[in-house]
Amino acid sequence: MMARILGLPFAVLLMGVGALSMLTVSLHAYLVRDLPTGRIFLYSSLIFLILFAMISVATANRVIRRQGRSHLISLLAAYTVLPLMLAFPFYEAIGDTAYLTAYVEMVSSLTTTGATFYASERLPSSLHLWRATVGWMGGFLVWITAVAVFVPLNIGGFEVGARGETGKGTLPISQIGRAADISERLRKFTVKLFPIYTGLTLVLWLALSLAGDPPLVAVSHAMAIISTSGISPVGDLGGSSSGLVGEAVMLLFLVFALSRVTFSAWERPEGLGSLRSDPEIRLGLLIVMAVPLLLFLRHWTGGSVAGVTLREGLLGLWGGLFTAASFLTTTGFRSVGWDEAQLWSGLQAPGLILMGLAIFGGGIATTAGGVKLFRVYALYKHGLREMEKLVLPSSVGGSGQTARRIRREGAYSAWIFFMLFALSIVGVMTAFSLTGVDFDQSLVLTVSALSTTGPITQISIQNPIDLLVLTPTAKLIFAAAMVIGRVETLAIIALMNPTFWRA
Amino acid sequence: MKVIICGAGQVGWQIARHLSGEKNDVTVVDNNADLVRRATDTLDVQGVAGFASYPDILDKAGARDADMIIAATHSDEVNMVTCQVAHSVFAVPRKIARLRAQSYLTAIYSDLYRRDHMPIDVVISPEREVAEAALRRLAAPTAFDTEVFLDGKVQLLGIQLDEDCPVLNTPLRQLTDLFSTLRAIVVGVRRAGTLFAPEPGDQLFEGDQIYVCTHVDDTARTLEIFGKPATRQERVVIVGGGNIGLAVAQALEGRAERVRAKVIEKSRARAELAADALERTVVLHGDGLDMDLLSEAGIDRADAILVVTDDDKTNLLASVRAKSAGCGMAIALVNDPTLLPLMDPLDIDAYINPRATTVSSILRHVRHGRVRDVYSIGDAEAEVIEAQVLSTSPIAGQAIRDIDFPEGVLVGAVQKSGKVVRPTGGTRIDEGDIIVVFALAADVPEVERLFQVSIDFF
Repeated sequence: MMARILGLPFAVLLMGVGALSMLTVSLHAYLVRDLPTGRIFLYSSLIFLILFAMISVATANRVIRRQGRSHLISLLAAYTVLPLMLAFPFYEAIGDTAYLTAYVEMVSSLTTTGATFYASERLPSSLHLWRATVGWMGGFLVWITAVAVFVPLNIGGFEVGARGETGKGTLPISQIGRAADISERLRKFTVKLFPIYTGLTLVLWLALSLAGDPPLVAVSHAMAIISTSGISPVGDLGGSSSGLVGEAVMLLFLVFALSRVTFSAWERPEGLGSLRSDPEIRLGLLIVMAVPLLLFLRHWTGGSVAGVTLREGLLGLWGGLFTAASFLTTTGFRSVGWDEAQLWSGLQAPGLILMGLAIFGGGIATTAGGVKLFRVYALYKHGLREMEKLVLPSSVGGSGQTARRIRREGAYSAWIFFMLFALSIVGVMTAFSLTGVDFDQSLVLTVSALSTTGPITQISIQNPIDLLVLTPTAKLIFAAAMVIGRVETLAIIALMNPTFWRA
Repeated sequence: MKVIICGAGQVGWQIARHLSGEKNDVTVVDNNADLVRRATDTLDVQGVAGFASYPDILDKAGARDADMIIAATHSDEVNMVTCQVAHSVFAVPRKIARLRAQSYLTAIYSDLYRRDHMPIDVVISPEREVAEAALRRLAAPTAFDTEVFLDGKVQLLGIQLDEDCPVLNTPLRQLTDLFSTLRAIVVGVRRAGTLFAPEPGDQLFEGDQIYVCTHVDDTARTLEIFGKPATRQERVVIVGGGNIGLAVAQALEGRAERVRAKVIEKSRARAELAADALERTVVLHGDGLDMDLLSEAGIDRADAILVVTDDDKTNLLASVRAKSAGCGMAIALVNDPTLLPLMDPLDIDAYINPRATTVSSILRHVRHGRVRDVYSIGDAEAEVIEAQVLSTSPIAGQAIRDIDFPEGVLVGAVQKSGKVVRPTGGTRIDEGDIIVVFALAADVPEVERLFQVSIDFF
């Protein structure tokens, strides 16, 4: 029975998981005596489980010819079609909203963007839990699909260090009779990573509860940090009661979005020692340290020093540190000390810096979005090497075959991705402008969607953007941009490649 | 003695040449039949073509009654297996293997070579030894040849005397009186191409090449007395990023005083390998003879250039080119001994002869008695032998002036219970002493006889 279910197509399986997860929310709604919401979720769950059973029967024993292609399409479907189902109970429970808005909200949750159309007071607590859960599942989806689907295809950031061609995978070695196919990899990595993902979330939940958060806030924030969705039932960290202790705990867990080595160190021979030499971790930590320090030091050149206490200064530094880490990992939580940091920096709109950080993004194959640190690292290394070549034109770069590949082919593909990302920004911005959104707002919306950092829309420019007033077309563009940002342009281009379909 | 040499490449060939010259029964094994034929045609050896590690090939080569097997093929693993087969199947008593990979040579894994594991009696590593020789040359930049004895306490220096040498035309006996605290002794002089052991009344002339045995603490003073004050090397260019060049560059990187080295390598793949292994050292890819590349490496400001490619002519030309471009000193690796007389007219300061280094390392295990070290000088013209005096040896208990040494033999240093003393005619050689002896090639068998167990021992 179980083997049968596991043998189903990926997209169908995801549907089943989504339908099942509605039960947890209905349970929560029952416990908080929000019976109408609970009923809606229970019935939706049942309806979709029945649907799932029917589709399963229809698609059982279906042979997948092209593993890579099929799973890429499934992944795309998971981000575009699955939210239609996830939005159903959400739409029903709110009652007075457009289905389109609920759908885009779910896309935003599932892609771990976390931009929300609803003021936090408007939604009952169960719906907040539903948003957080969808974001959390979306995060796990990225964890497993990155290693299971993107690695064999050399996309999603793995093309930088890979041997083979982007979008195609490495040539098979004839001596090895059989390599694990993608469905098998998905199963394997799900089994491996799920305990880690859940375990980390539980630990963080517990820690936040101990720090003084109410249960719902604690669990939502735990899910939001681990999946970097930034979904909060209270709007932002300002509304939570765990304060600085809670932030400190969250900061520790943000490191899992900096590099995939943090949660797969056991796969490497050096174990946890490989963390020290991991370029993403090093680059990430450097950025997280440098940005708040610069903001802090700028105080002496730009702002006025008069009349601030040491405590305010330290709070400002902390605010900068936490917020930089949170935006670099594309989570989007703002520290309670951020206002202080803003004051210290003396910049009119330091939100621009946050947008820049979000574009950098976290590590490859983590829940973070953006350009990804590894690509930034490849470009940096390439630049450094080119400077060396200016002085000694015939010198040979060292530090190993892999490092050399990263500097040459890796930097090349990173540069292509970077350009694609820039072009996507231009394209999406133009599309937003055509729907009547003004320039500032369309820039923020674009960066927010492509880097999957929803909360940027609320803090990066002077006036928060009210997403509800967007036209339906703009909402659809927003959703599409989020999917592009999550799946990455390269994967979509790989799908567009004619040879990908023919062979 | 019956010796089987596996591998007729550079190293195997040199060993075969040397051992066959000493009337040993040598068989060469190589899987390249051409190389084997070349060896049998040129040298007084037998040849077997085939894979050295196959038992049937070793059987054919006469492994059943062989006294020693030297595995010097290109592959470390083949050498190891050859020794194992020679031990397990044919019970060959002495097994020498040439190993290159650093990992095999690491001291902490040396348990591997115990008799019941991988029975290799002696591990030799020619590249590493040549690299060490190159480093010694760099350390004593003004000597054209150096080698250490007695665990590094005594250094043999080859010095080219030129006109500003302050001790020309002085009898050696007088020098001993002048510098009575100097623990150094001139053991050999090459004049007009002939090497001889000097008598106390001999004088030194301009153009002589002399070999001096000196206590390592007195090296700088010795060099100064013979008109070659020591200088410090800060910028070094190494041409050739093979095993030798790489080992030298790595050793330079590891030094406490900062030496700025640049490595030039022609093969892209090899250059990348070198660049990966080195951290601070810059590796340049290109031809070491190319002037543009040499100036990119900063040859005009370099203190020394070390040319260690596998081609003698390239080595010589690159050295000359570097010197003409303003490099302070040139050291070249020269395989062909007939090229050595060119050093002087080409103005190349020093050379490394991998043959001498390799053969020395093998010879010290072939010699009879308690020979600890052998260094072959020039084109096998003479040897410097370090040996322990046994109680049964005919020289034990005698003063040096009473020992019946042949004419071409001189005692360079004596170590008595751990302390190095400067030998004089009255120094008594006791049992357990270690002595360093310079001997012309013709006199080597006689010296060996002196160190051997005398017949009345039995």
